[in-house]
Amino acid sequence: MSESFHFFQFSFKDVAPSSDEVFQFINSTGIEDEHPSKVFVLEILRELENIEGISGGYKIKRDISVSRKDGLIIVDNEDLHTGKQISGYLKDATSLAVFLCTAGPVFTKTVNTLNRNGDIMEAFLLDAIGSLTVEKAMDIIQENLTDEMKKEEMSVSNRYSPGYCNWELNDQKKIFSLIGSNKVGVSLTDTCLMIPEKSVSGIIGIGNVLQKYNYGCKICNNSSCVYRKIVHDK
Amino acid sequence: MNSHLIDKLFECIEYGKINFASPYPPNMKGLPGADEITKEALEAGVTPNEILNRSLIAAMDKVGKKFSEKKIFVPQMLLSAKAMSISMNHLKPYFADGTVKRKGKFIIGTVFGDLHDIGKNLVSMMVEGAGWEVIDLGVDVKTETFVEKVVENPDAFIGISALLSTTMTNIQPVIEAIKSVSPNTKIIVGGAPLTADFAASIGADGYGKDPGEGIVWLEQQFQSIN
Repeated sequence: MSESFHFFQFSFKDVAPSSDEVFQFINSTGIEDEHPSKVFVLEILRELENIEGISGGYKIKRDISVSRKDGLIIVDNEDLHTGKQISGYLKDATSLAVFLCTAGPVFTKTVNTLNRNGDIMEAFLLDAIGSLTVEKAMDIIQENLTDEMKKEEMSVSNRYSPGYCNWELNDQKKIFSLIGSNKVGVSLTDTCLMIPEKSVSGIIGIGNVLQKYNYGCKICNNSSCVYRKIVHDK
Repeated sequence: MNSHLIDKLFECIEYGKINFASPYPPNMKGLPGADEITKEALEAGVTPNEILNRSLIAAMDKVGKKFSEKKIFVPQMLLSAKAMSISMNHLKPYFADGTVKRKGKFIIGTVFGDLHDIGKNLVSMMVEGAGWEVIDLGVDVKTETFVEKVVENPDAFIGISALLSTTMTNIQPVIEAIKSVSPNTKIIVGGAPLTADFAASIGADGYGKDPGEGIVWLEQQFQSIN
């Protein structure tokens, strides 16, 4: 049975990070309020209020099998080489939600303009706001999925993306193929870079005896990973 | 008098006081910033070399150390880099006519297939602030472009960055192409998914996990040839 894509659209105020969250995210909580970085973040958060294009969604896939030994999850006959870490977390999953979410094109466009003008501090801060915005939008989508699955007495896992937790980034192409056509408007370059850049894609496990494991940051070297930052801040 | 201007400029760069209009830091509000003081210093007869070495490089060195010691954070370092860059604009004519000599040339770019530039820009500004001429090739830089620039600048050091695990593998062919036309050219690589082991495995001469490590590596190269 082919599942439909559950589509969500957000206004910026639904998913906007606070100034404190931005500075926590960039590990810069000790900066005084008068610093231009603080002033810029407050101003830009106000300016972003009317931006459009923040959207995302998921599609449920019920035809799956998970092999922890092989570090493999097969979805609709598509092999996802997630690695042993993620397949271990999802060993009890009986379905998967394949997701896609974007903060829209405004962030990349404005970051590029700021960089060109030499405003690299502002570019750095706006880039961080974009990363947080898409993760917050995805949080809401995941909450919706959790609520929906509760009705079927199912629980859901954390979300996992190609490029993280030792899952090869190349599998992003398969994620896009599994999602199929949708209204989110994210494309993929040959090197698996999502355009707009402030976008996320991946999988969430679903099952009735599924346990939610913490991310395995302790055994991962990627110090700039968004999941590491988010999970450690909570 | 001249010494006073050098100290003031140092302070402007350390704290990110860009120009007269900048309200930060509060104790320097309404006072000239890096832009005006550099101009004033040149008009007062301070040599461009003194400005570069005693204000710009010295201040950015202090900023880099404060960052390494976690006394300041990335936005503060970036603001200092901007003040440094504004000041540097006044020195550009002296670089062009050879009055001021920099330590050498550093060619930097994000590897082909990758569009990430924030980390690369940060390295670029910090290296410039450490006294190097930086040729920034931008993002998604083709192998041929790196090779072309190396041929044009045979004494330059090269920095290549990647932020994706899919694009970091593109660095190796770039290194091989550069080394095939210029075997003695030294190349440093960096970016979130890279490690020192990976850098060594693809034939890079150096690995920088942050701008500070990149600058230390460049200084070592500079010392070894001087």
